[in-house]
Amino acid sequence: MATQLLTVSNLSAGTEDKPILHGVDLAVGAGECHVLMGPNGAGKSTLGHVIMGDPAYRVTSGSIEFDGADVTELSADKRSLAGIFLSYQAPVEVPGVPLYSFLRSICQMRPELKTTARKFRERVGAIADQLELDQGFLMRELNVGFSGGEKKKIEMLQLLLLQPKLAILDETDSGLDVDALGIVSRGIQAYREQVGGALIVITHNTRILERLEVDRTHVMVHGRMVAEGPAELIADIDRNGFERFEKCEDCGGCPMVGDAE
Amino acid sequence: MAEKDLAPELTLERVNVAPAQTWNRLRTNDITLTVPARGRKGDVYFSLPRLFEGVECGMGREVTDWVESQAKDARYVEVPRGEKREEPIVVAVGSGDVTDTGVMVRAGAEVTVVVAAGAGEKDGEAGTSASLVRVIAEAGARVHLHEYVGVGAGQQHLESVGISAAHDARVDVHQYLLGGGTVALGFACDLAGDHARVDLGCRYHAGGTEVLDINEIVRQHGRNTRSELSYNGVLEDAARKGLRTTIDLIHGAKGAQGNEAETVLVLGDDVVNKTLPTILCDEDDVAGNHGATIGSVSPEQLAYLADRGLSRADAERLFVRALYEDALMHAPCDEARAVVEAGAGTLLDEEA
Repeated sequence: MATQLLTVSNLSAGTEDKPILHGVDLAVGAGECHVLMGPNGAGKSTLGHVIMGDPAYRVTSGSIEFDGADVTELSADKRSLAGIFLSYQAPVEVPGVPLYSFLRSICQMRPELKTTARKFRERVGAIADQLELDQGFLMRELNVGFSGGEKKKIEMLQLLLLQPKLAILDETDSGLDVDALGIVSRGIQAYREQVGGALIVITHNTRILERLEVDRTHVMVHGRMVAEGPAELIADIDRNGFERFEKCEDCGGCPMVGDAE
Repeated sequence: MAEKDLAPELTLERVNVAPAQTWNRLRTNDITLTVPARGRKGDVYFSLPRLFEGVECGMGREVTDWVESQAKDARYVEVPRGEKREEPIVVAVGSGDVTDTGVMVRAGAEVTVVVAAGAGEKDGEAGTSASLVRVIAEAGARVHLHEYVGVGAGQQHLESVGISAAHDARVDVHQYLLGGGTVALGFACDLAGDHARVDLGCRYHAGGTEVLDINEIVRQHGRNTRSELSYNGVLEDAARKGLRTTIDLIHGAKGAQGNEAETVLVLGDDVVNKTLPTILCDEDDVAGNHGATIGSVSPEQLAYLADRGLSRADAERLFVRALYEDALMHAPCDEARAVVEAGAGTLLDEEA
């Protein structure tokens, strides 16, 4: 049994005027790989952002515990430094800041990653090569003018550089062609092998999971966790869709679909 | 000391004047500067060839005349036809220096000109420095101009540039304005020949109570000429910045295109930021665009940066630091590098 890394308990959250998550529970052990699935608009990305501490969302009840500490009230930057990483579905453009300067700064914030400029350049260069990312991109402004695939590779570059304890990948596979998907998948695999960190993969596409050993699968519908099961649940969803879970949610407060369905 | 106090001064009333004026009450049309006026009686000095008198300079005639009257010597460099000059022409401007430089780039030749103003200055030192650079680029010439300005908090620096570009000449300009008590920069480029082109990138930072005044003019006379002007700056504390950019698409410049864009990040509550972008058009078959983005770091950007471990203060510092790192990475010579390092202070200390 892995040590508990993340415990989300009875979490309700939303924007100022709209509740989105309702009493969500989620437990992730250190080094485990969890997959979060659900139809569009289910609240999966919101859950990722709320765990990360996005100020756009307000927690109305429940708690988030990470690595033995309650982080519910902690700001996003402190959660990041504590070891939580969120890979964006649509990474934000930051004009005026070259990618290299940004990477250098975020590493300098972490005592364990502080190093000389030369060693840092070598490390970033090696990861960029691993992700087949042109090193010329490092001099370009952060996420400005990059294709969707390149932006996702830059997210993976940060993941491998920062080596967080928990990575939440919010539809990292969306908008990627087959080749880029392969590279990103290898990046995720490298994170698992080199860092041994835990993963929450939010996805609609099972191809990104092919190289991963999934521990648990969760299904979210209308802001509620409605099912949890082993890796085999992914294949089931792939074949049958989410319809039965949505029905489950409609009846209001029905018991969760368990491992044995 | 008494002698210094009594040094004669001259007030230059209308400096950095935009070709097209707006309401005076907006106080964006020009800047007034007080400069020293040393007598030169008895000096023996060289002037530039008269050909350079016809080159329009960004800060205006008054500043050109003042520099010519104050510079100890004019420096004239000619790059022979078809030759690529490997060594840059470096104009190093220290505290109190006034320099006058003329560069003739003959047809098909290539040259790099670097103006490095402020290296080695100490904060608290008061004075006025100035640099006047005029370049004549003949047909097919290539000119790379780098301007690095970072003078002390008590200093005033005037930087005026004029370039004339003939048929198919290419000019690229890299300006890094890294602060100073008062920094006034004027740039004028005449795309006189067909297919001539200028690409200008200006990055600036001003903090404290620094004053930064920029006036940039591109006259597009030739057909199918092209100008690309891009500005990106960070203003902190109570800094005051004025930027006038003018693309003048002159009658006969068929097929000419000009674009200007500015992004300003305002990080101080007392910052004064004024921008006057102008496109003058006296020809039908041309295209001119301008755009400006002015604001603080957006909530989305802050959220993204926070998710990587940067607080608001860290994020704001990142923008300033990135500017200096960019300047350092692109510094073409040691003199330019020294300007950046002196201006950055402790910002780049972690780079060791």
